[in-house]
Amino acid sequence: MTRNPPTDTPDAATAPLFLSARYILRLYVTGTTPRSSRAIANIRMICETHLEGRYDLEVIDIAQHPALARGEQIIAAPTLIKTAPLPLRRFIGDMSQTERLLAGLDLHIAAESFPPGIGC
Amino acid sequence: MAGIRSASSLLLENASLRLQLAEAQDTLSAIRNGEVDALVVEGSSGPRVYTLQGVEAETSRFRGKMLEQVSDAVIALDDAGRIVYLNAAAERLYNFSASAILGHKQAALYETRWLLPADEPAAAGVLRETGAWRGELIHVRRDGREMYVDLGVTILRETADRPAGQLLVVRDVTERRRRDDQILVSEIRYRRLFETAHDGVLLLDPRTRKIIDANPFMTRILDYPHDKLIGKELFQIGLLADEAASQAMFRKLKKNKQVRYDNLPLVTQTGRLQDVEVVANLYEENGRLIIQCNIRDITERRRSEEHVNLLMAEINHRAKNLLAVVQAVAHQTAYHGDPATFVTRLSDRIGSLAAGQDLLVRNQWQGVDVRDLVESQLAHFKDLIGSRVFLGHKPAQLSAPAAQGIGMALHELATNSAKYGALSNGYGYVTIDWTPGTGTEPEFSISWKEAGGPAVAMPARKGFGQVVIGRMAAAAVQGVADIAFHPAGVTWTLTAPAGNALMPADGFGR
Repeated sequence: MTRNPPTDTPDAATAPLFLSARYILRLYVTGTTPRSSRAIANIRMICETHLEGRYDLEVIDIAQHPALARGEQIIAAPTLIKTAPLPLRRFIGDMSQTERLLAGLDLHIAAESFPPGIGC
Repeated sequence: MAGIRSASSLLLENASLRLQLAEAQDTLSAIRNGEVDALVVEGSSGPRVYTLQGVEAETSRFRGKMLEQVSDAVIALDDAGRIVYLNAAAERLYNFSASAILGHKQAALYETRWLLPADEPAAAGVLRETGAWRGELIHVRRDGREMYVDLGVTILRETADRPAGQLLVVRDVTERRRRDDQILVSEIRYRRLFETAHDGVLLLDPRTRKIIDANPFMTRILDYPHDKLIGKELFQIGLLADEAASQAMFRKLKKNKQVRYDNLPLVTQTGRLQDVEVVANLYEENGRLIIQCNIRDITERRRSEEHVNLLMAEINHRAKNLLAVVQAVAHQTAYHGDPATFVTRLSDRIGSLAAGQDLLVRNQWQGVDVRDLVESQLAHFKDLIGSRVFLGHKPAQLSAPAAQGIGMALHELATNSAKYGALSNGYGYVTIDWTPGTGTEPEFSISWKEAGGPAVAMPARKGFGQVVIGRMAAAAVQGVADIAFHPAGVTWTLTAPAGNALMPADGFGR
C-alpha cells in the first residue's frame, strides 16, 4: 500500500467536506428588528467570505409567515438552520459570534483569519 | 441479536443526544441573554410568534406591516450597504423575493445609472450635508429591464453621529417619463409650428378678452412687439373697430364656438392699412376655455384676386375681338372666293389666327416676337427657311392686335406665293425683313419680297387676300400697307409708328 505524498492543497478525494460541500441554510427572522437585520447581514457576510458560490441562503420572515416556522420546529428568532451538509445544525441569535458559528458550520479551520462580524 | 444495540450505534446516538442537548442549552442561553427577538409557540391553529422586546419591537413590527402596504418600494440598507429589509412593493419592482436578496449588497438588486454624470457627485453632496436626497435616475434590474425611478434616500442614524444605514423609497416613473417625453416632443413640435407659422396666432382668455400669447408672425403683421400685445384686447391692437365690436365677437364666439371674418381692414401701430382674414375658435384646454385667433395677411391674395379679375376682363375683351375678326374673315371669305373652296380657305385663315393666338398665350399676352410670328405662319415652309425663305433677325415684340393683323397678312402672302408666286416653282425665293422703330427713326416696318417665281401679272380682281394684306393689316397697326405686283415678284411693305405696332412698356397690348 502506497501513501500519497504530503501536500498543502488536498485534492477533491481527500479534501475536508467543508471545502467542497454545498451549504443549504435558512435564516428565520422577525421583520425589521435590529437583531434580525444584523443576523441577515452577518450570515450573508460569512457566506460570501467562506462559502462563495456554494451556498443557498433563504431568509424567512416568520412575522409575516408564522406557518413557515412549523416545519423546522423553530422556537425562537433569529434562528439559522443548516440542512446540508449533514448533520442538521441550528444557531440562535444575531449571528455575531463568528467563531462559534464557523465552528458549528465546520468552517473552523480557517476561523483565525476571518474578519469579525459586523453589527455586534 | 434483536433488542441489543451495538456499541458503535450507542456511541452515535449518544453523540446526537449531546448535540441536541448543546443546542437546547444554546437556545436557552440565547433566550436568557436576550439574543432573540421572538419565541414561536405551537398552538392549536398553528405556530404563533411572540415578540420579546416589548413596545419597541411591537412598534417596529407594526411599522413593518405598514411598509408592506405602501405602493412605493421601500428598501433598508445597513451601514455596510447590505439589504436588511425590502417590502412587497420592492419585491415586485425588482422581481426578487426578500428571502433571496436580504443580506446582499444593493448592487445585487439593481445597477444605478445617472441621467447626467454630474448628478452622482451632486446627490452625494446633498446626502452628506442634509442627510437626505431625492431625484430621478435609472435602475437597471438584474433581468436587464431599465426603469426610470424617483428615488428618495434618507440616512438612518443610531445616534446623531453614527449612521446605521440608509432608507430608500423608490417609485417607478418610467410610464410618467414616457408620457412626459411625449408631451415634451409634442410641445416642441407645436411650439415650433406656433413660432414659425406664417399666419398670426393670438391666444386669448375668454373671461378677460385679453391676449395671453402671440406668435412672432403676429408681431410682424401688427408692428407691435410681443410684450406690447400681451394683456391687450383685440380692439386695442386695431383688429376690431371698438370695444362694442369686440364684445359682439365674443358673444358670437360663445354661441357658435367659431367666428370668421373674411376681410377685416386692420390698422397697424404704424398706421399701415392691411387686409386680414380672422378665424377665431373657442375651445377647452385642460379644463379652461381658450380662444385661438388665426390672423392671415390677405393683402397678397387680394392683389392676386384683382389681377385675376383684370385678366378675366382682358380675356373677355380679346375673345370678343377675336370672334369679331373670325366673323369678318368668314364673311369676306364667303363673299370673295369660290364656294367650293370656302371651307378650306376659312379653315386655313382661322388656323392662321389660331397660330398667332397660340404665340400670344404662350407669351402670356406680353407680345409676340416678329420672327416667331413669321415662322409660325410659314410653318408649311419651314424646310425652306435658310435656302429659299430668308428671315430678318432684329428682335421686336409685336402687340397683340399687330400680331393678329400681320400674322393673317403673312398667311395670305405665303398661300398666294405657294399658289402663284416665288414658292410655286422649285427655285423662287422670298425675303421677309423688319425694322423695329428706334429713337431716331420711330417707325416699324415689315416687308415681303418675292423673286425667281413665275412672271407676275396684276390680278384681274381684288380678292379677300388683298383686303387682309392691305386694309386689314394697315388697320391693325394704324399704318400703311403697300402691295406691288412687279413682274419679278410681289412686294409687300407695312409701315406704322412703332408705338402702334410694338409692345408698350406696361406689357398689355390691346
